[in-house]
Amino acid sequence: MEQLATPLLNGVIYGLLLFMVSAGLTLIFGMMGILNFAHASFYMLGAYFAYALQDVFGFWPAIIVSPLLVGVVGILVERYILRRVHRFGHAHELLITFGLSFIIVELVKLFFGNYPVNYRVPASLDFAAFTMGSLDYPAYRLFMGIVAIGMFVAIYLLLSRTRVGIVVRSAIHRPKMAEALGHNVPRVFMGVFGVGAAMAGLAGAVAGAFYTTSPNMALELGVLVFVVVVIGGLGSLEGAMLASLLIGIVTSVAVGIDASLADFMALFGAGDLAREIGGILVLKVSSLAASLPFALMLLVLLVRPSGLMGDKE
Amino acid sequence: MKVRMVLLAAGVCVLAAAPLLLSDGLVNAAISMLIAALFACAYNLLCGQAGMLSFGHSAYFGVGAFATIHAMNAVDGAGLLPTPLMPLAGALGGLLFGFAAGWFSTQRTGAYFAMITLAIAELLHAIAPQLKGVFGGEAGISSMRMPAWGWDFGSTTEVYYLTLAWVLASLAGLYLLTRTPLGRLALGIRENSHRLRFLGYEVHRVSVLIFALSGMFSGIAGSLQVLSNESANYVMFDTSLSAAVVLNTYIGGVHAFLGPALGAALVTFFGYAVSDLTQSWLLYQGVLFVLVIMFMPTGLAGLLDLACGSARRYGARAVAPAAGLYVLAGGAYAAALVFLTELLQRLFSQDYRSLAQAAGAGHWPPVRMFGHDWTPLGTWTWVAPAALIVAGWLCWRAATAVVRRLQEAAPAVPAGAAGMASPGRTA
Amino acid sequence: MKSPAVLKMALLPGLMFASALATAAPVKIALVETLSGPQAATGLTYRAAVRYAVERINADGGWHGEPLELLEYDNQGGPAGAADKLKAAISDGAQIVVQGASSAIGGQITEDVRKWDLRNPGRELIYLNVGAEAQALTGDKCQFYHFRVAGNAPMRVNALVAGMKQDQALGSKVYAINQNYSWGQDMEQAIVDGAAAGGYTVVEKTLHDVGKIQDFSPYVNKIAASHADTVMTGNWGSDLLLLMKAAKTAGLKARFGTVYLDQPGNIANAGDVALGNYVAQTFNPEAAGEAGAAFMQDYRAKTGHEPTFIEPQTVFGMLLVGEALRQVPAGDGKLNVRKLALALEQASIETPMGKLSMRAQDHQALLPLAVSVVSRDAKYKADGTDMGFKPVKRFTAEEAAVPAQASCRMQRPD
Repeated sequence: MEQLATPLLNGVIYGLLLFMVSAGLTLIFGMMGILNFAHASFYMLGAYFAYALQDVFGFWPAIIVSPLLVGVVGILVERYILRRVHRFGHAHELLITFGLSFIIVELVKLFFGNYPVNYRVPASLDFAAFTMGSLDYPAYRLFMGIVAIGMFVAIYLLLSRTRVGIVVRSAIHRPKMAEALGHNVPRVFMGVFGVGAAMAGLAGAVAGAFYTTSPNMALELGVLVFVVVVIGGLGSLEGAMLASLLIGIVTSVAVGIDASLADFMALFGAGDLAREIGGILVLKVSSLAASLPFALMLLVLLVRPSGLMGDKE
Repeated sequence: MKVRMVLLAAGVCVLAAAPLLLSDGLVNAAISMLIAALFACAYNLLCGQAGMLSFGHSAYFGVGAFATIHAMNAVDGAGLLPTPLMPLAGALGGLLFGFAAGWFSTQRTGAYFAMITLAIAELLHAIAPQLKGVFGGEAGISSMRMPAWGWDFGSTTEVYYLTLAWVLASLAGLYLLTRTPLGRLALGIRENSHRLRFLGYEVHRVSVLIFALSGMFSGIAGSLQVLSNESANYVMFDTSLSAAVVLNTYIGGVHAFLGPALGAALVTFFGYAVSDLTQSWLLYQGVLFVLVIMFMPTGLAGLLDLACGSARRYGARAVAPAAGLYVLAGGAYAAALVFLTELLQRLFSQDYRSLAQAAGAGHWPPVRMFGHDWTPLGTWTWVAPAALIVAGWLCWRAATAVVRRLQEAAPAVPAGAAGMASPGRTA
Repeated sequence: MKSPAVLKMALLPGLMFASALATAAPVKIALVETLSGPQAATGLTYRAAVRYAVERINADGGWHGEPLELLEYDNQGGPAGAADKLKAAISDGAQIVVQGASSAIGGQITEDVRKWDLRNPGRELIYLNVGAEAQALTGDKCQFYHFRVAGNAPMRVNALVAGMKQDQALGSKVYAINQNYSWGQDMEQAIVDGAAAGGYTVVEKTLHDVGKIQDFSPYVNKIAASHADTVMTGNWGSDLLLLMKAAKTAGLKARFGTVYLDQPGNIANAGDVALGNYVAQTFNPEAAGEAGAAFMQDYRAKTGHEPTFIEPQTVFGMLLVGEALRQVPAGDGKLNVRKLALALEQASIETPMGKLSMRAQDHQALLPLAVSVVSRDAKYKADGTDMGFKPVKRFTAEEAAVPAQASCRMQRPD
């Protein structure tokens, strides 16, 4: 049981981290129909801003100011770049975010260098929360989980209980009508983009200290975030939470499974046949752990393309 | 029409004469440009003509490549086909895999279609390194071109002519395809697939066919790459290659037939030429992409169309100063960007920071750039880019003033680039 | 009898003509490296080391008085780009190609060089491999014009095992975790092969995806469950850093035996996590004594930072080539690459770490190694922290060498 508990907990926390980054992406897609390829770059910017501000302000103010800065960057990007390209169609918006992701990564490399930077967990949080079996469980991981859950609750309440939330939701479903009723829909779009970017920035600021902060951060997380958004349903916040937890747990638990398809077929007596065929059948699940999310994504796309909790097409 | 044929013929002659005029290194760059051009045109069949934005097209390029390398290594290295016919293996691989993947992908449309294609490519990219027998691990599989039909294919020139022949034949094939009913149906899918269904066509079947054909030509491009490099590696399935072909296509312009070819050739050449000059070339490429997409949504082909159209309407002599001023403005802005980027890159580099530390507080050692030494706090170091930006802005203002004067003199149709894309044009 | 003045006038043009013939044409060295993109950090490091080495060879006289010319090409991080740039380098007249940042690219280059040399006798070029440590390159892909001046997996593992055993840090249970590609698989094989001699058992081995894993805690759980005393890994970059950080936050008691712990940024980022872990290096300044200190100072003066990680092996490898160049006569002015290759496979030099020489059988260099532990007592600190690499055991080239692979059947030019 304990064998399963640690991977489960780790998977949940990793999933919550994925949620922090993908929440913004799914909201942006749901509202504006833009698949923002630069979203993972906002995650990276959050980490780098927090690293740069840490020396000036200290850790806690830095992780509050850094997401705000990233939010400002997001607003500027939406106002001056995306809005211009909006009328040319979705493909152009997508491509521009792709070009932007390149520019952001190169700018980060220009100012901070190619190697990982020394952004570390502060001493105040660098202790073990409890022990599970023979291993300690770091408190900072729990902190990351708490931040993620707090963010989910805040955004959910914002969207469902406040007036701003109602306007945002109506702009998602019926933008023309909302505009006709007198709401400034372009400004709402700008705000949503900014908030989405800020959420990714917060994720970066918090996670960058625990994992490494390097120019390749965006690449490492980028495609996985897309997988989460697709599985959860484009535009659904609850779906993003569910999908992130699913992906986090699956990757975490899969690492412990050293069996392969051939072993599974051995249950039916076809083990030797499978081993002879070789190839994909003898690959261990543990070494494929990082590829499982894509298989899941393909499955979901074929069976239920709107995702686990998205609107039916 | 005649002008077009003459231009095309001239282009082909120039391409054919290239190995006689260029060095070996440049001929090799030309081979890469031709392959990228074919890949982009194959992609445009799916994206620009049928309106299906695919994000994982590198999969068909890669499958064609591996099919070819295995064909080359078959029969103990002698090859399944004579070398000039090798791309047929790539075509077959691309076609079959295109059928299989297309059947699944085209069941959905829009963003979901794009995501499925991305998932297929990513899955292939993730599994490929594990299947050593087929994909050769991260060292890839290598082979050698075998002599055939009197040539030994040992020199770059012969490989160039082989590539040129196949690229021209494939482009001709793609063009003829646009003239067939199937090609017209592709346009129909893009414009209004619902209506097509009502007209009695099986939209899914047509989509799969288009997808497979696009995969086939991508496979030919992949196999040409393998013939040139004599090796295939699973990194061909990387998303960066899929993204590159999308970018090349849109930069060239999706509405002109040769637009993607133009875009791909220019971007490939840019990467080849600039990557050796500066470390920050990816930044310049990114800025170029963003600027082209923001200000030239119909791509470079659209820009050429605009220029020719304006020349026809106002007369070349009237338009030339505006064009020249725009070019000057662009050049000045580009120079300022390059200057600032190179300066910042050197100032923020690790080595400079240690040198500055060694020199003591307040002392900034000079930075070596473009053959000169620039002091970071010196006047020229900041006046130069500022002057370039101002010069660029003035030229831009002057150019727009000239254009406005021309438009006021002959107020016919607005000459804006945006929204000029007419859907029916395919050549 | 001609007057002396006329004789001198007759001799003068002849002497000038003769001296022009005896002057060497510049030897062109092409660096085809990853200078941009995600893996640029390593490529740029190789470039710094190669630039320094070429400057030093030129200061010592170059090739018969003519300085070496360094051409730089960016392979854009992939084998296809490397193939393109190699062709550009050949077209620009390069005679030696230097590369090290990736075994995949190394595999492409060695094959391309082999095919070119086969098709163009008289215009050959040499591939100097300064860092691609996959076994295949001196195994079934070995060829006469490829020379590796870096280590390989079995060499590193044997040294690591011997060093950790001497420090009594090895224990009897070893967990092998590596990246799932040729280098990682070579490391895993070497760790398994060394079990008998090292007196340990490999309790479990794991291969994981390269550069894709953010969260190593599931792997740390597996390591804890296996009760291993030592974790041996060939991981580099973020894979190594994240693994060690995950181990520390979980309070894992095992020690790490690594190959690439000295990559810039690792110690600074890992902090105290790094203390007490071992690494098998090709250069350790403390172990290299006075010569090492002089080398460090000179390098720092010329490049702005101290040589670490792959820089020393690259510099020494290039100096080996410089030594081989000295053995090749000027001839008609143009470098005969075949003669250079023959000289290089017999060459040897003294480096601050000991004797470096080339093994003619498979063109793998025999180089000295050192096993170090991360400690606060080290004489030279790393990454601007208060920790450094304290040498534990030194190995001469003979001690560190492993026999050539049977799969290498080199075809020598006749």
